[in-house]
Amino acid sequence: MKGNGLAGITVRINLSTGEIKKHPTDPEFMREWFGGRGAIAKIIYDEVPRDADPLGPDNVFIMSAGIMSGCFNPAGSKVSFGSISPLSNGHGDSNMGGHLGPALKFAGYDMVIFKGVSAKPVFLYIDDDIIELRDASKYWGMGSLECEPLIKHDLGEDFEIATIGPAGENLIRFSCITHDFGRQAGRCGQGAVMGSKKLKAIAIRGTKSLKVHNLDKLTEHSRSIVLRTKTHPNMAPWQKYGTAFFINWSNENGVFPTRNFQTTFYENASGIDGDKLVEKCLITHKACFGCWMNCGKYTKAVLPGKPTVYLEGPEYETGALCGSNIGMTDINQVAYMNWLLDNQGMDTMSGGGVIAFGMECYQRGYITKEQLEGHTLDWGSIDDAEHFVDMIVHRRGIGEWFAGGTKRAAAMVGHGSERFAMQVKGQEMSGYDGRWAPGMLLAYMTCDIGAHHNRAWTITVDIAEGRETIEGRARVVVYLQHIRPLFDSLCICRLFWGELDIEPEEIVEALNYVTGWDLTVADALKASERVWNLTRCIYLERNRANGRSFDYPPARSWEDKIPSGPGKGKGVTREQVEGLLDDYYAARGWDKNGNPSRAVLEDLDLSFAADRLEKINLLGNPIPGGIPKVRGERYKPKAF
Amino acid sequence: MVILLRAGGILREIIKPDVDYYTRRIEARDGLAIGEILQQVSIDKRLIAFIYVEGKVRDYSYIPKDGQTITLQPPVSGG
Repeated sequence: MKGNGLAGITVRINLSTGEIKKHPTDPEFMREWFGGRGAIAKIIYDEVPRDADPLGPDNVFIMSAGIMSGCFNPAGSKVSFGSISPLSNGHGDSNMGGHLGPALKFAGYDMVIFKGVSAKPVFLYIDDDIIELRDASKYWGMGSLECEPLIKHDLGEDFEIATIGPAGENLIRFSCITHDFGRQAGRCGQGAVMGSKKLKAIAIRGTKSLKVHNLDKLTEHSRSIVLRTKTHPNMAPWQKYGTAFFINWSNENGVFPTRNFQTTFYENASGIDGDKLVEKCLITHKACFGCWMNCGKYTKAVLPGKPTVYLEGPEYETGALCGSNIGMTDINQVAYMNWLLDNQGMDTMSGGGVIAFGMECYQRGYITKEQLEGHTLDWGSIDDAEHFVDMIVHRRGIGEWFAGGTKRAAAMVGHGSERFAMQVKGQEMSGYDGRWAPGMLLAYMTCDIGAHHNRAWTITVDIAEGRETIEGRARVVVYLQHIRPLFDSLCICRLFWGELDIEPEEIVEALNYVTGWDLTVADALKASERVWNLTRCIYLERNRANGRSFDYPPARSWEDKIPSGPGKGKGVTREQVEGLLDDYYAARGWDKNGNPSRAVLEDLDLSFAADRLEKINLLGNPIPGGIPKVRGERYKPKAF
Repeated sequence: MVILLRAGGILREIIKPDVDYYTRRIEARDGLAIGEILQQVSIDKRLIAFIYVEGKVRDYSYIPKDGQTITLQPPVSGG
């Protein structure tokens, strides 16, 4: 019998009652929403009351392995998690590589949807057909990296484990989920949502197989991609260094966030770059399921006065946000911070952003040594950073202020500190400063989950097309916001597309071999655009104001010119920020208020969402001259 | 001397491959550094994350030998 890549069962679990129900996965639903991120968005849209507390029983928590995870296509390693984000109060999804997604499919399940709150700590146990909620009292309170081996010891090495740490248990809003000793679903506070449901961990053993529509074609297609890319020029350096090697480039091009984005050039960048990681910390390379790139780096950090710790990373983002952004000068310091936040269960990106914000508040005298329990909070001090993290994780004193992320912390610190709380929609910025990269700034401003690079990354376009102009940036951001999240829906890794010149047509071809569908790239991009518009509707319905009001970066982005380095004196103006938004909304078929118009929603088969926006007076005004026929047209700068 | 420039991603088309899909053959004066050679063929260094030669990262002052393959790595987002 021919298959479609799906395992066939969706599981619903009510944590309040302990009820576990298995339902057939609807292939039509999966075709319409593409599994991972897309299916998560639709379930959130349909099932979460608009006034539900993100950390309350009515929020859902969804784990989805999508369509292509675990199938015999390259890099099918991903699993997506989603819920209303406790950071943004809008749609949130975050994914991780490793082996958990394939394990879920091999056990026979496409998705698990949790609701309610357990009365006591539990973990989800899946061993093929057996699904149980088991007591997690003995694991509660443990660090993520300490808990995973213990659960493996208790259940067996062949179980794949995902855990939260104390940060998630204590509802720190930027908590992550950890798997495979260092793979994280880091963004959108998914660890806090698990913690709010008293769900400490997920353990899965799957021993079944998956059926695809055309195994012969899929095998031939996958083999040709792997063989062709083995000799790709990027392969060897990528395998050796992973993402960490872009630190020096980012620094030399004046986009490297330094001391809470005060400047974009770090004088000590060479001390924390990828070559130092390989030289000082690397133990071995590591790959996710179905990947031949092995870009993960298993490492150790050795620092005087600290225990030697073992971790995966740091990757670029952690290198930036727990490196230059908090003033660390040595790769071992960055690796130690990486381990610390991983083990506590904090996203290293938001976590680095929150620590940096605290350090700038201390630098300016807005928080004091007394408030820090007698400690300083100086740039580059690993002891200060570690103590501050402990205050946050355990919500001691002003640690409580920072437990909600920089936006909420700024409201408590006062002194106008919101102007340098480097976030959008409550989620901290990734490791690039957008002041001299206007496309990147727009990508942060309009990202549906808050400031995150994964939805669109434009810095090479900014360089190639001119860094002082905003012209053309909206178009490329919209295109990227459709192509990049598509991977998160399909639950395959995006990096082999960016790194190894795999064309979107080849990915859709693989999708068709898996499913038996007959989709084109245009069909897939339109499906991704549908998801993007649906997540916008969720945001508007929950936050009840014009979308434009939520799309601004902190005022530092236009008020402060870059003070040093290659970008000295550069920066966008407020007028350019407004122009970026105007161009972006026009490219999307949204009105000037940043609200989707009925015409665009109906073109995407989202008339039900238009009706709901109309009821709360947030449906976009009709677009003079009509909406663009194609939003997010494939775009390639002339220089490329 | 002759060197072979190799690049993928956004750099592939910029180097104008003429040997195979990823490779361009360049004749240059002996003793020229990579940075000078790239300037000579008008390749924008801002789009190069790093230079990789025989398993090692090199900077723009590296002087290649006749027949060497020089890989140019484009930047990517990540991590």
